[in-house]
Amino acid sequence: MNTTVARLVRSELTLMKRDPLTLTFVFAFPVITMLIIGGSFGTKPDIAFQGANPSHWYVASYLTVVIGAMGFIMLPVHLASYRERGVLRRFALAGFPRWSFPLSQLVIGFVAVMSAAAILLAVAAPVYGVPAPHEWARLIAALVLGSLAFTAIGVLLGTVLPSARAAQAVGLVLFFPSFLLGAGGPPPHVMGSALRSFAGYLPLTWLTDAVRVPWLGLGNATGSLALVAVTAVVATAFALRRSTL
Amino acid sequence: MNNTDVVMVRDLRKSYGGRTVVDGLDLDVHAGEIVGLIGANGAGKTTTVECIQGLRRPDSGTLRVFGLDPATQADELRPMIGSQLQDSSLPDRLRVSEAVHLFGSGARGDGDHLLEEFGLAALRRSAFASLSGGERQRLFLVLALLNRPRLVVLDELTQGLDPSARRGVWSAVDRLRHDGVSVLLVTHELDEAEALCDRVVAMRAGRVLDSGTPADLVDRHARNAIVRFTLSESRRESLHLTDLRGVHEVLTDGDRVTIRGDRTSIAYVGEALVRSGSIPVDLAVDVPDLEDALLELLDRSSYEVTHLSN
Repeated sequence: MNTTVARLVRSELTLMKRDPLTLTFVFAFPVITMLIIGGSFGTKPDIAFQGANPSHWYVASYLTVVIGAMGFIMLPVHLASYRERGVLRRFALAGFPRWSFPLSQLVIGFVAVMSAAAILLAVAAPVYGVPAPHEWARLIAALVLGSLAFTAIGVLLGTVLPSARAAQAVGLVLFFPSFLLGAGGPPPHVMGSALRSFAGYLPLTWLTDAVRVPWLGLGNATGSLALVAVTAVVATAFALRRSTL
Repeated sequence: MNNTDVVMVRDLRKSYGGRTVVDGLDLDVHAGEIVGLIGANGAGKTTTVECIQGLRRPDSGTLRVFGLDPATQADELRPMIGSQLQDSSLPDRLRVSEAVHLFGSGARGDGDHLLEEFGLAALRRSAFASLSGGERQRLFLVLALLNRPRLVVLDELTQGLDPSARRGVWSAVDRLRHDGVSVLLVTHELDEAEALCDRVVAMRAGRVLDSGTPADLVDRHARNAIVRFTLSESRRESLHLTDLRGVHEVLTDGDRVTIRGDRTSIAYVGEALVRSGSIPVDLAVDVPDLEDALLELLDRSSYEVTHLSN
């Protein structure tokens, strides 16, 4: 297969393998913080965690931290740096279809998420154990739609922000509140009402809810899954529209 | 537009935030021709080629490349154009052979052949970041020529290269002429334009000042030659330098003599020196070149602009 997208994906994967340190944040940060936070509240089912084992709560939550880190930081910095250096213009002038690079980034985003998630679960398994998912279909739907949504957000940010440094700065500002309030921080039940209300507007909160709830058997989280799906559609439409290379 | 026209631009206009960058420009590039766009920084050269490549949408004017409109038919057009861009790069860790494979949609042999031809075959496994400036420019040329384009756009091709690397790149461009490829060369290196171009278009403030072969432009705008030598006053009196044909002006500073005249004056001054038996050992001649022609053109157009506006 020698289509433009296939060549771009092959090239990007080769570069990713050749320079793994650029993925440190996506691969290492969720694992390290999961190990710290996951061990802070014990393993006894707790009402603050909707009756779930706190360690399992965080193992399920940190899978979405990987997706958030990829969408808010890894992809925007990568794209902005390519644009800044004229690599995207070179792609455009070489006759690459304008949708080919975002599509290749979608594939790369999925690969990065799957690899980082596999590492996270591999590390979690011997330490806290990995809870068996209660509803596989909803869990997989949430992960796929969430990866699509955050890849699109990443591509969108990468096309809007003027430089790699700006993308890193903005990405960190977007990522950490989302991480603390929507995924890897305190459970919603211990937050004040203002914080909980604010967290309810964050896409990473919707995704974490859509993943964690069916995984741990805490309900079905249909509303959160629907919000993730809408985010995926809207962000993808905007990302493709902005990706003029 | 006839069938030998590769690029046809009529009355092209482009402004950024109220600042006019291209102002009613006309330009033609014919099949197999190397055309140079020359002019000072900010003349609108790069914006013009960006419109031709479909990277920017003109405010008005007619623009056709191979009969297609770059603003609306860029996807059809781009496979026919090879581009080497000013200020563009590749990922640092991408290797030379990988870049060729990434950008080449055709047979693998084409890329290998071009790498051999441009002296990069031994660097196939080298990362982009490890290449010298000259090697990078040659790689960009290889990438521009992959997929056998019919038009190649080269923007500041040899900027920052050492003289030897420049010559290497020039001979590569010259080979394109023999392959029948049309080249649009944007440069402010006038020796480059003089060495490579069949025709040059001199631009200032988004307009064409003049166009023609480099020799035509020199002939029209920089006819004066300068002859310099050292000769004692007593010996030069017998030469009657001011009376020689083609001589416009004779300046002296002690024994130092500077003669300005048209190019034919070189022969008459030489003849007079030989006949008198007084051939100075420091005889030097400055023949006008494209740089002189452009400077004269820019000076004159700036004078005209000032006086018209007054």
